[in-house]
Amino acid sequence: MKILLVEDEPGLRSAIVDCLVQDGYVCEIAPTYALAHEKIKLYQYDCVVVDLTLPDGNGLDLIRALKADGSAAGVLIISARAALDDRLTGLGLGADDYLVKPFHLSELNARLKAIIRRRQFQGQQQLVFRDLVAWPDDGRVFVHGAPIALTKKEYDLLLYLLANPQRVLTKEAIAEHLWGDEADASDSFDYVYTHLKNLRKKLQEKGAGDYIQTIYGLGYRLRDV
Amino acid sequence: MKLLAKTNRYYLLLAAALFALGGVVLYFSLNWALRNEVDEQLLDQQRILTRARTTPRTNALLGDSLRVSRTPVPEGLHDAVRYDEEEQTMVPYRELSFPVQRAGTRYWVTLRKSQLETADLLLLVLSVMLTVLGGLFGSLLVLNRWLARWLWAPFQRTLAELRAYDLHRRGPLALLATPIDEFTELNQALTQMSARLAADYQRLKDFTENAAHEIQTPLAIMQAQLEQLVQDDTLRPASAAIVGALYGATRRLSRLHHALTLLSSIENQQFALAVPVRLDQVVAEKAGQLEELAAARGLTLRVVVTGVPVLTMHPGLADSLVANLLQNALKHSLGGKVIEVTLSVDALVVANAGPVIEGDPARFFERFCKHHAASASPGLGLSIVQQICQHYGFGLSYTFGPAGAIHTLRVDFSTPITTT
Repeated sequence: MKILLVEDEPGLRSAIVDCLVQDGYVCEIAPTYALAHEKIKLYQYDCVVVDLTLPDGNGLDLIRALKADGSAAGVLIISARAALDDRLTGLGLGADDYLVKPFHLSELNARLKAIIRRRQFQGQQQLVFRDLVAWPDDGRVFVHGAPIALTKKEYDLLLYLLANPQRVLTKEAIAEHLWGDEADASDSFDYVYTHLKNLRKKLQEKGAGDYIQTIYGLGYRLRDV
Repeated sequence: MKLLAKTNRYYLLLAAALFALGGVVLYFSLNWALRNEVDEQLLDQQRILTRARTTPRTNALLGDSLRVSRTPVPEGLHDAVRYDEEEQTMVPYRELSFPVQRAGTRYWVTLRKSQLETADLLLLVLSVMLTVLGGLFGSLLVLNRWLARWLWAPFQRTLAELRAYDLHRRGPLALLATPIDEFTELNQALTQMSARLAADYQRLKDFTENAAHEIQTPLAIMQAQLEQLVQDDTLRPASAAIVGALYGATRRLSRLHHALTLLSSIENQQFALAVPVRLDQVVAEKAGQLEELAAARGLTLRVVVTGVPVLTMHPGLADSLVANLLQNALKHSLGGKVIEVTLSVDALVVANAGPVIEGDPARFFERFCKHHAASASPGLGLSIVQQICQHYGFGLSYTFGPAGAIHTLRVDFSTPITTT
C-alpha cells in the first residue's frame, strides 16, 4: 500500500508517517504543493492524504488534478478548517473522506483502511485478526468461522480495533469514534468501558482468545496473546 | 415626548400667560385713558358753564347731559348708571356735579356723559388686538412645526441609518452631508466612530480567525506525537499516566477550540448556506446518538413530535443547535428522570428535572458560565444555542424551578429573540 502524505507541518508529518509505517504502509511525503503536484503526476498511489492549506497552494487543486488525470487513488483530506462548506467542497470534488485537525492517528488509520478497501476491493475485503474475521460491508463477524451477534456499538468498536491492530487506542479516540465529537468525554469513558467488557465477554464465549488488552490510564489494544 | 412638542408646550404656556396679562393691562389702561378723556371733557364744560353766563345756546349745546337742581347733590366726579330710553339698556355714565351761584341763589349743576360709546370702543380695540396676536401666535406655531420637520429631516435620516446599522453586516456608516452645520458635525462624528468600530471589529475578527487556525496546528502536532508516545511499549506506568493526562488535556483543548471557532464563525456570518432542514430528523438522529449515554446515567430521552417544522438554515447549525440543547439537558439532569423533548411546528422544547439553579438564569447563555467550576465542559453549549437562535431570529427562553423541578429550554422558530 503506497500512500502520499501532503502536509507542510514537520511535527505532524513525522507523527503521521511513523504511524503509517508501523502499520505497514509505504509512505511518501510532500511538504509543498509543488512537490505534491509533481509526485502525483509521476507516480501512482493507493491513497493521497492531503492538507488543504499549503504554503504554496491549495490542497483542493491537488484533488482537482488527481481527478482530472482519472487517478484511481483514494483521497483523504486533513484540514484545520472545520467549516462544513470546506467539507462539502472537498467531498464534492471527489475526495473520499474529510478529517478535521486535530485528529486521532488511529481514526486516520481506520478511515484510510476503509477508503482503500472501498476503492480497491469494492469493499469485499475482510478484516482478519487471528481467528476473528469481520466483513465490514455487510456487518458480519465470525469467530472460528461461527457468526457472532454484536450490538451496533460493539461492532463499531471491534471494527475500530481491527483497523488498528497492535496500536494503543486511547479512551478519547474510542469515545469519539463511537459517538462523534459531541460525546462529552467524562461520561462516555464509562460507557466505552462497558461496551468493551461486553465485547470481550462475547468474543471469549465463542472461544476467541483474550485479544483486547487494557492499558491502564490510556486505553485499549488489540494484540496477540 | 418629542422635542418639538416640548418646545411648543413652553411656547404655549408663555403665550397664554402673556395674553392674559396683556389683555388685562390693555383693558385697564384703555379704560383708564377713556375715562380720563370723558372726565376732561366734563371739566371743560364745567369751566364753560362757570365762567360764562349761561345762555340758551350753551344750554342747548349741553342738552340732555345737563341737569340743574336746587337741592344739593354731592360734588365732584362719579360714576352712575341710568336707563337709556333710546338704547333700551342700562348705560354707564360719568357725572360731574358742582354748585353755581346765580342771582343770589345756589344751584347744583350735574354734567353727564354716556360711556356706552367708549365701552364699544374698548371692546373693539381689545378684540382686534387679541385676534391679531392670536393669529400671529398660531401662524408662528404652524411655521415652527413645518420648519422643524424640514430642519430636522437630516436628523431623522441619521437616526434611521443608525437604527438599521449592523456592524456584522456592513462596514462604516455612510451618512450624507446636510446643509445644517450641527447635523453635519454629528454625522461626521458618527461616521468616524463607526469607522473606528468597524476597523476594531475587523481586527478582532481577523485575530480570532488567525489565532484559531494557529492554535489548531500545534494542537494537532501535540496530539499526534502523544499518540505515538502512547504506542511505546517501554513506557513506564508512571509516565504512561502522565502521557494519558496530557492526551486528555489536548482533547479538551481541541473541543474548546472547536466550540470557540463555531461561535466566532456564527458571529462572523460564515454560515450563509441555508437549505430546508427537517428538524424531526435531526432530533431523532441526535437523540439516537445520546440515548446510550443517557441510559448510562439512568435517564430516559422521550421525544414527542406533534408537528414537523421545516426550517431554512445551515444543516451544520441545525445539528449543533439540537445537539447542544440535548447535551445540556443530559448534563444537568437529575439521575433516574425523563428528559422530555417536544417538537412542534413552532417550537422545540427540552425539559428536564434539574438541581436548584443559583444566579441569574440569563447568565447561563454567557460564555464560560458553568454550573460547577470544576466541570470538564467549558460552558459554551448554551452560548452556541443562543448564538444560533440570534443568527436565525429564533426566540430562546429558559424557565426553571426549585431543586428537582422541571427546567425548560424553549426555542421558538417564529418570534425573534428579545434579549438585549
